[in-house]
Amino acid sequence: MNLFSLKEAAKQALSQTEVNFVIGYTKGSYGFRVAPFFAQNEAEVEKLFFSPLCDLSLVNYLSLEKNTPLEKFGKSPEQKIGIFVRGCDSRAINQILSEKGIIREELIIIGIPCHGVIDIKKLEARFPGVLDQARAEEEDGKYTICFGDKSFAIKKEDILSDKCKHCAYPTPLIYDLLIDGKVEGKDDRYEDIKPQEEATLGEKEEFWKNEFSRCIRCYACRNACPLCYCENCILERLSPQWVKRSVNPTENVIYHLSRAFHLAGRCAGCGECERVCPVNLPLMLLNRKLEKDVKSLFNFTPGIDSEQKQFLTTYDLKDSEEFIL
Amino acid sequence: MSHFEPTIIAFLCNWCSYAGADLSGTSRYKYPANIKALRVMCSGRVNPLMIVQAFRAGADGVVISGCHPGDCHYSQGNYFTRRRFILFRKFLEFLGIDPERVVLSWVSASEGKRFADLMEELTDKIRNLGPLKNFTPLETEARGEINDS
Repeated sequence: MNLFSLKEAAKQALSQTEVNFVIGYTKGSYGFRVAPFFAQNEAEVEKLFFSPLCDLSLVNYLSLEKNTPLEKFGKSPEQKIGIFVRGCDSRAINQILSEKGIIREELIIIGIPCHGVIDIKKLEARFPGVLDQARAEEEDGKYTICFGDKSFAIKKEDILSDKCKHCAYPTPLIYDLLIDGKVEGKDDRYEDIKPQEEATLGEKEEFWKNEFSRCIRCYACRNACPLCYCENCILERLSPQWVKRSVNPTENVIYHLSRAFHLAGRCAGCGECERVCPVNLPLMLLNRKLEKDVKSLFNFTPGIDSEQKQFLTTYDLKDSEEFIL
Repeated sequence: MSHFEPTIIAFLCNWCSYAGADLSGTSRYKYPANIKALRVMCSGRVNPLMIVQAFRAGADGVVISGCHPGDCHYSQGNYFTRRRFILFRKFLEFLGIDPERVVLSWVSASEGKRFADLMEELTDKIRNLGPLKNFTPLETEARGEINDS
């Protein structure tokens, strides 16, 4: 990862008068943490970096900054934002663009071809209580983790984020500037959801009942998701009330079912929902299942093209008639 | 213990399926009273989450019925229904809800007998499947009889 090119790209973006800040990563305050950072001038750009520890997605900040998707549609861009994106992030941006949730001209996208990021929870499980700021580097299928005066070599697949293990689009599909060379994607066969798919109906019910009984309905998953940017979120509405506020397995199932189905064919697989969940719910299972079905049934992959039509607003005369009486 | 009678909510499109159900009535073809008909203007109006609401309200099965493909009164509504339904059914199965409880059918306005036969068949099927256990119905909550823990 050429940090010099990264900073130069940020400086280049900032040099434009309409660009107020560049959203990137900076070292966190302790341990393995990485923080988002809004660099507003050349001096602050020096704080930007990228390493395998950068497990969070920055795309959510676009919705928060630009906050009023449809209202700004058609107005000339007065303010631009620079942002660092990995592969999955670029797909999220593409998807939002195709839904007209944001205007392309308002973005300066700095693409980082991603070799995969570390699941910080796995690292913290291995090295609990680390307070010294840590570093991570990747080489030859191994991560070298350094903190304090210690250094450890760990096999990549031991601490790699689950979402990266099957990533088919590690190189950003949309960008204004690309740092480093392109990375080849993996062949995604959806092996991770196979055990869940092949379980019996009773086992499935039991599994999800157990999982969702832990859900505290904190809405972190909805808040962290880059594609959950509806101003009037269905999960919060009181008229009509789709999901009641009570926290019990029934309501929790309805909450997650609704949210996952609203992300059908839109989820970019960034894994933020699972990352931010305080009780470690396996939320990506739901999204992956829908991603797989949408791909196999309708040959649609979200976030490939910023102009593509959505699969639910189009139809094929030859759509499956399976199970229809 | 009295035997179980399922509650089945039927979303019927105004132009074809509801008219078809109406025809079965006027032709005196009997279909089970387990079917509670809800008239919608088009099957494409049915939000998949309404199926979930129906289950949560105590339904044991849901049937969505619309015009045959190509004959939709609004040209394309049923095509969208088809897309949504296929995906949603598979998703419900993934979550442990029996997909046999959610049925999509195409019934035209002239198919009175067929509607009655379909509903009879469906009621039998759902009766055999038994009551839905995945959701605690709303009324149980209201009576204070939760909780699934």
